[in-house]
Amino acid sequence: MVDCATLTSVTLCPTFWAGLGGGLSVLLSAIGAGIGIGISGPAIAGAGVERPEVMFKTFIATILAEALAIYGLVVGLLSVFHITDALTLAGSVRIFAGGLTMGAAALGAGFGIGTSGSALAAATAEKPEIFSRAVITLILAEALAIYALVTALLLVLQAS
Amino acid sequence: METETLSHIVRDNYIIAKIRGEKGKLLERQQIHSLAEFRTQSEILGVLAEGSYGKELSELKEGSSPIETERAVRLGFARGVKTLISSSQGPARDFLLEFSRRFDAYDLAAIVVFKAQGKTWEEFVSTRQPLALLKEAELHRLYSMDDLRTIVGIVGDRALVNRVKGFSMEDLVGEKASLVRDIITGWGEERFYNYLNDKLGGFDRGSCLPIVGGTVDLANLIIILRSKLIGIPSVREHLISSSWKLHDRTIDQLLVAQDVTQALDLASSHPYYHRILSGARQKYEETKSLSFLEVASRKHSIHMSKRIFLGFPYTLGVILAFLVMKENEARNLAAIVAGVGAGMKPDQIRSLVAIPE
Repeated sequence: MVDCATLTSVTLCPTFWAGLGGGLSVLLSAIGAGIGIGISGPAIAGAGVERPEVMFKTFIATILAEALAIYGLVVGLLSVFHITDALTLAGSVRIFAGGLTMGAAALGAGFGIGTSGSALAAATAEKPEIFSRAVITLILAEALAIYALVTALLLVLQAS
Repeated sequence: METETLSHIVRDNYIIAKIRGEKGKLLERQQIHSLAEFRTQSEILGVLAEGSYGKELSELKEGSSPIETERAVRLGFARGVKTLISSSQGPARDFLLEFSRRFDAYDLAAIVVFKAQGKTWEEFVSTRQPLALLKEAELHRLYSMDDLRTIVGIVGDRALVNRVKGFSMEDLVGEKASLVRDIITGWGEERFYNYLNDKLGGFDRGSCLPIVGGTVDLANLIIILRSKLIGIPSVREHLISSSWKLHDRTIDQLLVAQDVTQALDLASSHPYYHRILSGARQKYEETKSLSFLEVASRKHSIHMSKRIFLGFPYTLGVILAFLVMKENEARNLAAIVAGVGAGMKPDQIRSLVAIPE
């Protein structure tokens, strides 16, 4: 059993790596979701001022951005559940990698959802009939985070 | 990614989405054509009541004159721009304010022309563009003055004062009044063009310059042609010093042209402007007026604006493109209302409006 109490031994401490992985997953995903909502939200409001009828449809951007935080939370919680005395250093590094993968991907996806969601709101405000086609870019941006979620889950679930 | 672009994505997406929504409500070509078919003003008002000018038009009294209706349309446009200004921040707000400053030149030009025509202050106020930043009290003070260079010197700069040298209020009749008007409004456009060149960079500058640069070039062309029409020898003194695609060599060639028709032939062979100026000589010979050039200039701006809307959405060019289209719509409606009020035929009215193709 590694003693995690001192700074010199912390790099060999499984709890540290697993905790850091879970924490990064939640933190970076929340930042990604914040970016997504923060960028698309004002555009949805702007579109809603001119065309209230499209506002509800364009909310999909903020919902998808919010989902990023949920993905991060899922990976984070699973990471926490794996922090036991039986956790090895190799397993904890897997959890760290999984958390980092999820967090970093959510950060990128958040920016993508924010900008494409903002453009979706603007385009739908101008021509409401193009919503069903314009939403595809938003879904593709969300897919980036789903790829990371799958990878992160595989990494975390194989940790023990 | 450039800093300005990131700033537009994060900060200006509200206003950009709002603009897209408003753009979707602009009158289509067919609707403008239909409005020109109406025979009474009340029919036009009935169609426009539901649109973006509804608020101002609903305040018109029964039997309002075409001038009052035109003013209501202008007020509707001004309200739209002022709403955009109040909902924007940072460089986008500065940009919108600078756009509004252009209208100070239009006010100044209108003061000079109205005074030269002996019209009253009330007549001026009822037709002025309400978007200008100059206060009404200041305008009233200017209206009480009689010396052209003094009036121009208060609102304009030394360059503008020099450009109107040789003119006095007493001799501003007909084409001469139009020339001074063009010089003053051209100066306003030049000021905006210089702002774009000096203060903006990257995508913002690149997307706005084709619209504003084209306006400056065509304003210069109109000044040259009008000077030739009047027979003014020292045209260069009155020209806008900035230019976009109308380079010095072309301007020199235009200046030495013998008459308006020769200058129009030269201008219509220009590699950049030949598309909008093709057939210009024929139009001039048919109408014996240069008013078609103003419509051509607006059509060029609309063409450029439509191209900007097809490109990258996060630039100040999108805001400018919308304002150009909205301003054009307001001018078209004002022309239609005036045309219908004057009993003109639909075809004649259509020749006064710039309709996007």
